[in-house]
Amino acid sequence: MLIKIDHIAKIEGHAGFTADIVGGNVKKARLDVQEGARLLEGILRDRSIFEVSQITSRICGVCPVVHTLTSLKALERALKIEVSEETVLLRQLMMMGQILNSHALHLFFFSLSDFFDFKDDLALIKKYPDRAKDALFIRDFGNKIIEVIGGRSIHPITPTIGGFLKMPSKIKLSRIFDQCDKALASAKSLTKLFASLKYQNFTRSAPYASLRHLNEYAFYDGLVKTSDDSKADLAEFMNIIREHQLQNSAIKYSYYQGKPFMVGAISRLNNNAHQLNPEAKKALKSAKIILPAFNPFYNILAQAIELIHCVEEAQKLLRQVLRKDLKGATRSEHDELIQAQLKAIKGTAKGIEAMEAPRGTLYYFYEINSNGKVVNCNIITPTSQNLARLERDLEEYLPKLTVKNIPKKEIEAKIMMLIRAYDPCLTCATH
Amino acid sequence: MAEHVKIGDFAFLEDTPEAPIYDIVFVEGAPITEENIARLKKLRAKSKVLVALGACAALGGIAEIKNYQDKFERMRYVYKNFESINNPDIKPLSYYVKVDWEIPGCPINKEEFLKIAKQLLAGIPPAIAQRPVCYECQIKQNKCLLQEGLPCLGAIMLAGCGAICPSNNYPCDGCRGPMKNTDPDKLNKQLMSQNYTQEEIDLITQRFGLEDKVYPEPPIKM
Repeated sequence: MLIKIDHIAKIEGHAGFTADIVGGNVKKARLDVQEGARLLEGILRDRSIFEVSQITSRICGVCPVVHTLTSLKALERALKIEVSEETVLLRQLMMMGQILNSHALHLFFFSLSDFFDFKDDLALIKKYPDRAKDALFIRDFGNKIIEVIGGRSIHPITPTIGGFLKMPSKIKLSRIFDQCDKALASAKSLTKLFASLKYQNFTRSAPYASLRHLNEYAFYDGLVKTSDDSKADLAEFMNIIREHQLQNSAIKYSYYQGKPFMVGAISRLNNNAHQLNPEAKKALKSAKIILPAFNPFYNILAQAIELIHCVEEAQKLLRQVLRKDLKGATRSEHDELIQAQLKAIKGTAKGIEAMEAPRGTLYYFYEINSNGKVVNCNIITPTSQNLARLERDLEEYLPKLTVKNIPKKEIEAKIMMLIRAYDPCLTCATH
Repeated sequence: MAEHVKIGDFAFLEDTPEAPIYDIVFVEGAPITEENIARLKKLRAKSKVLVALGACAALGGIAEIKNYQDKFERMRYVYKNFESINNPDIKPLSYYVKVDWEIPGCPINKEEFLKIAKQLLAGIPPAIAQRPVCYECQIKQNKCLLQEGLPCLGAIMLAGCGAICPSNNYPCDGCRGPMKNTDPDKLNKQLMSQNYTQEEIDLITQRFGLEDKVYPEPPIKM
């Protein structure tokens, strides 16, 4: 049987899928990524460290916050700049906004229709009007956080090396704080719906990885923890998973110890579930999934549980932020510090940083010189880590579908469901 | 608005086959592969109105930065096997097809998008007022970043964003492109008098792919 899907809707970016199955054996299963190469790592070279984070933000319209912040953190690492506690809190808050708006989009608008037979989300909205409102409210809540702190919800403006160009208004922050309870209620009802869905039974053994932090469910900071329980610092791990370009393609795949691996919400849950906030823990308990989970479809459910966690976390962070006096440094104070650090660079300086993006760990590497220019750069996105594993999953999943004699249309639907469960972002993957 | 329009193809919301013709098509992004160019031309042929949506479609966007560099070296830097990867100069949509309207910005301004979409539905030709970002910035009573010595391009860039960048203490870098019939030299001279080199100014205008818009002819470097 030959399966060919020209265009997979409801993912970020463009891809198709081809598979050939002969006598129950999958001869090939391949994602055909139809994205062009924007050469981000190339075009950033020789450009100023003051502008590159604004450029990398444009890699993705769904997760620009995490691209901006990870880029800034890597530059700060190279410059040996420590940021203030309030800067960390505000960035963590922005990250909660980022995860919430991305997950809400993926859960309700990309994934949910796969569990029913809707081709059009407008029909889905008619079936679940209240849950649609929940999803939109959470998206809005997340976007508001980013907008109030970052100046704009897409491609935030204020984050800069060392902190912020402008501090958020406390009045606006407290207005967001007032909405936390409603956002939490929305997250809970949405998660309840996702816990009640019937997930495909597909368990396989596959390595996974995510950040791990001593004190919190890691998004902003941490070491890399893998399923074989090894912990690596970011530089080590970025070296281990080295990317490999596919022949004739603008896509790069990454492997961990020669094996494809998975990152994202389910990997984070596998590693860090004990650090979830209380309501999210309750939701996990009633969802009855056994961790570590090796079913990739549970990535959807893991995102739903993270929704609750992130609203609770945002509430906690807002409480802390509202007690700070939020003065921030002036532009000239920022500049002086950066110039002093640049002067101290002999030859070049390197910085590697990572954060948990909605779709998994995002790595940035910069090598900069004392003139404040980028010499070398590498970005490894979650999707370029996930793609090899996704393709392997499809290879292992297809025979299970074809033995049951189900119609080809349904097989195709299940394939797309698995692809969407990974929440791939092909725009990020090619950057 | 969803009640009044039929969505032909929007992969974020639906998974239905593409419509044979369109009244209005919004095209995001700048063509970067052969397929992109072919699809753009096909879309143009089957659409009454084509709107370039966002900075990449209207100006070229960040991917155009490579036009001002050695794009072949940039390709080799990122990919070992580069022979079969398309590497065209990045051009706005208007280079390939007739563009009826542009909704500029990175990101676009959602209010402006909705306003223009409604105008198009009602058959009213949309018009973005030709005012500089400075106009909106002054209404907001922001302190002037250019006067503070920062390389703010607000004086010649098209308003409609609400001067959102300077309002956040970030100098305008022209994501909406220049106003029509602007003379960039005055601002250029001003920036050079503030000790910016032509190279530094060029780096900023390259960012969203507008160096070739500000200077339709190759600039005479001073």
